[in-house]
Amino acid sequence: MSTMSEALQTFLAESRGLLEAMEEGLLKLEEIPDDSEAINSVFRAAHTIKGSAGLFGFDEIVAFTHEAESVLDKVRDGELALSEAMIGLFLSCRDHLSHLLDLLASDSDADDETRQRGDALVAQLSACLGGAGSRSMPVEQEAVFHREGGDGAQGDAWHVSVRFGRDVMKNGLDPASFIRYLGTLGQLSHVETVFDAMPPAHEMDPEECYLGFEIRFHGEVDKTEIESVFEFVREDCELRILPPGSKLSEYLQLIHELPEEDLLLGDLLVRSGAITRRELEEGLAVQGQESTSDEAAPPLGEILVERQAVQTELVDAALAKQKDVRQRQSQEARFIRVHADKLDSMINLVGELVIASAGVGLIAGRNKDAAMMEAVSEMARLVEDIRDGAMRLRMVEIGETFNRFRRVVRDVSKELGKDIELIISGADTELDKSVVERIGDPLTHLVRNAMDHGIESAETRIARGKPARGSLRLNAYHESGSVVIEVGDDGGGLSRERIVAKAQEKGLIEDAQGLSDAEVWNLIFEPGFSTSDAVSNLSGRGVGMDVVKRNIEALRGTVEIESRAGSGSTFRIRLPLTLAIIDGFLMAVGEGHYVVPLDMVLECVELGEGRSSDEPDYINLRGEVLPLLRLREHFGLEGPVVRRHNVVVVQWGGRKAGLVVDELEGELQAVIKPLGRIFAGLRGLSGSTILGSGEVALVLDVAQLLEHARLREAEAVSAVSVGRTSERTANAMTG
Amino acid sequence: MAKTIMIVDDSATLRQVVGIALKGAGYEVVEACDGKDALGKLDGRKIHLIVCDVNMPNMDGITFVKEMKAMAGYKFTPVIMLTTEAGEAKKQEGQMAGARAWVVKPFQPPQMLNAVSKLILP
Amino acid sequence: MELKNESGRLCPEGELTIYSAAECKDALLAALEESDGLEIDLGSVTEIDTAGVQLLILLKSEAKRAGKTLTLSRHSAAVIDLTELFNLAGWFGDPLVIPAER
Repeated sequence: MSTMSEALQTFLAESRGLLEAMEEGLLKLEEIPDDSEAINSVFRAAHTIKGSAGLFGFDEIVAFTHEAESVLDKVRDGELALSEAMIGLFLSCRDHLSHLLDLLASDSDADDETRQRGDALVAQLSACLGGAGSRSMPVEQEAVFHREGGDGAQGDAWHVSVRFGRDVMKNGLDPASFIRYLGTLGQLSHVETVFDAMPPAHEMDPEECYLGFEIRFHGEVDKTEIESVFEFVREDCELRILPPGSKLSEYLQLIHELPEEDLLLGDLLVRSGAITRRELEEGLAVQGQESTSDEAAPPLGEILVERQAVQTELVDAALAKQKDVRQRQSQEARFIRVHADKLDSMINLVGELVIASAGVGLIAGRNKDAAMMEAVSEMARLVEDIRDGAMRLRMVEIGETFNRFRRVVRDVSKELGKDIELIISGADTELDKSVVERIGDPLTHLVRNAMDHGIESAETRIARGKPARGSLRLNAYHESGSVVIEVGDDGGGLSRERIVAKAQEKGLIEDAQGLSDAEVWNLIFEPGFSTSDAVSNLSGRGVGMDVVKRNIEALRGTVEIESRAGSGSTFRIRLPLTLAIIDGFLMAVGEGHYVVPLDMVLECVELGEGRSSDEPDYINLRGEVLPLLRLREHFGLEGPVVRRHNVVVVQWGGRKAGLVVDELEGELQAVIKPLGRIFAGLRGLSGSTILGSGEVALVLDVAQLLEHARLREAEAVSAVSVGRTSERTANAMTG
Repeated sequence: MAKTIMIVDDSATLRQVVGIALKGAGYEVVEACDGKDALGKLDGRKIHLIVCDVNMPNMDGITFVKEMKAMAGYKFTPVIMLTTEAGEAKKQEGQMAGARAWVVKPFQPPQMLNAVSKLILP
Repeated sequence: MELKNESGRLCPEGELTIYSAAECKDALLAALEESDGLEIDLGSVTEIDTAGVQLLILLKSEAKRAGKTLTLSRHSAAVIDLTELFNLAGWFGDPLVIPAER
């Protein structure tokens, strides 16, 4: 008896012979390009090598010869003319194959050079095929059955009902062998042979088949696998496969879980495994036949149930799913996908339009033409509407971003062994798409941090009298022209002692005296800070909270922490609604113009005459201490000093301050342009904008200015009384 | 008693590999290198199944099946045709000639064994 | 196949398959018609397929219909195999002697 190694020798010898025939054929074709016999022999050589290599599982040779065969097939069919270049190419292919065979013979693997040459040849071959591409490799029809859990008779049984056609045995097909084969896939727990169709003895033709079988079958297989048992006899029998009850619930679940796509009822059932492709095709064929009559054809679901291909409840589930998807789609149909670049360029143009329209307004005002001014103001209103509309196009709901965290929370809870539920609110809050895209990472970090460090273990929670299940909140809302996103937990809250100790250990501070809680909390945003005693694999990734803060600041946003010992902490991120156009308030200091976002402006008050720069930098605003920030001094401006100053009261992130300016110039729409490198060192500026007059105005970064005011105030006050500082600052912090 | 299977293919490698697989599964094997050779070997001996390539010199598989189905001693013998993925038209032709089972080339021995055991009892 | 007839006892030899089904059917039916009780000795059946089993079903039904007894005896291994696969032993009602080595 021959062995596989002998068979391999046969393969090598035979393939070498075929390659010689191939070479001979190709050389002949060089002289007589349409010698069909030569073409055939070249084709046959490739074809046979492919088939034989497949037997051994030499996939590399199979894949390569497949490409060559595809091209040769087209040549043979006259679809492709054999050029001299192609003959050359096939000769190279032949040589490559010969090399692959040598490698096989010496039992060595292909080196990179060989692979590259093969890839290059394949590329050339597919170029010959042009757009058509090679015939796809055959789908493995005879899938090797792999079953999980063995053939045990656990669970309930499949029911297979089969009626063989009269001619099966004449066609050489023995019903018994199919049934025995089915038995090899699992266990035939009951077979009932049905011979009701058997005619009286003298009419019975012993070469015809009158039998049918009702089979109960246990096995870890799917419907298609069972169907494939009967593949050769499929056209000569009636086959019904009913899944076991346990499968039924599996199908139901699958139908519910199939990703939402526009699936036809039949496809839905096929995908879930409830029916096979063939059952569907047969059902459709029946439907097609019935629809030729005058009456409308019965629904596919009914046909399938009637043919016992599928249970009614599965059809119902699929129909319900379909309805659900359609409803969603009818909503989705109202959306258009637009490339973000197009939107951006439109918004840019709208920005220019805003500036141009301001210019027109200015000229109209100068000419004092009443009708003109009226028309201009009407136009300005429309431009404003267009601007708002354009900005809204870029707005998306944050809900989708929030929903992504359901998975994160689930996975991380499992990883940590904590039971944590996620509570989402404000999912319909809208913000600029570019902001949404960039907020995901910082949010992920905060969420992980809260779950890892914030929420205690179940035992600790119970000991502290809290529900064992921790909760994590994601919330979003609009507040004075910005979007606030909160990540909150009901954990233990931040520990002042531990943060201070850590900060001292890291050399971030010397002592905590005079630091407010908020200031202490902010220490965790310092580079290299980690509060957990045990650095876990979740948060101890070397990415610290400092990166979170930087990411948020890059979006012109801020982050603050609210924490109460024992009841949890909340990280509050404030972000601008949009990054491109703002409603601004224009002010003048000296010869320059400055803009602050209008929604940060609370009010404007006149500063009493004669107050000079060396007077205290705060005023009493209706009993509230309001720090002042003199822009003239802050930016070191020169120019004529006016006698009366104005104070613009601004608010950001719960803090207030008064900006001292020379003149109030009113509202405007500002298209924010980034500042050049020159201004990079200047604190308190976030951009520039061009006024209708053509002049440039600088956009103030209120958050930075407020921070500056707070620091300066703290310094000033601490000089007076150390003891009162923290209290004061805390007030300023919480506003 | 072991069943006998005839392999008809012009590739010696295929005959040998399939032969090894079938013998390993307990079958007797008769080899033929083309349709003509195969007809010659249908000399009254009992053949339980024929594995037959379509594309062969001298006599192709379809012609062979037609001839074989006309022989009293072999007319009910099942045939597995070896086909290529592009052979849909050939498949029709084979169907007409009386072949019902198909295995697509390239295949590996276990696939052939599966197909065989669907068709004949051990 | 050959059919040995020994006074009310038929002994088909060789294969009981589709190749011999037509021939067997005629012979066995004729034998059944001629006798009141018939025994078919299956001990020499080397090979049987669905056509063979189907023929046995036909004979058994025919005998029942005619009120005759048809006994199947000395089942060979091949016959037992298929009778068991089709779960027909009970319906046939004849004792199956399962060889010890199986």
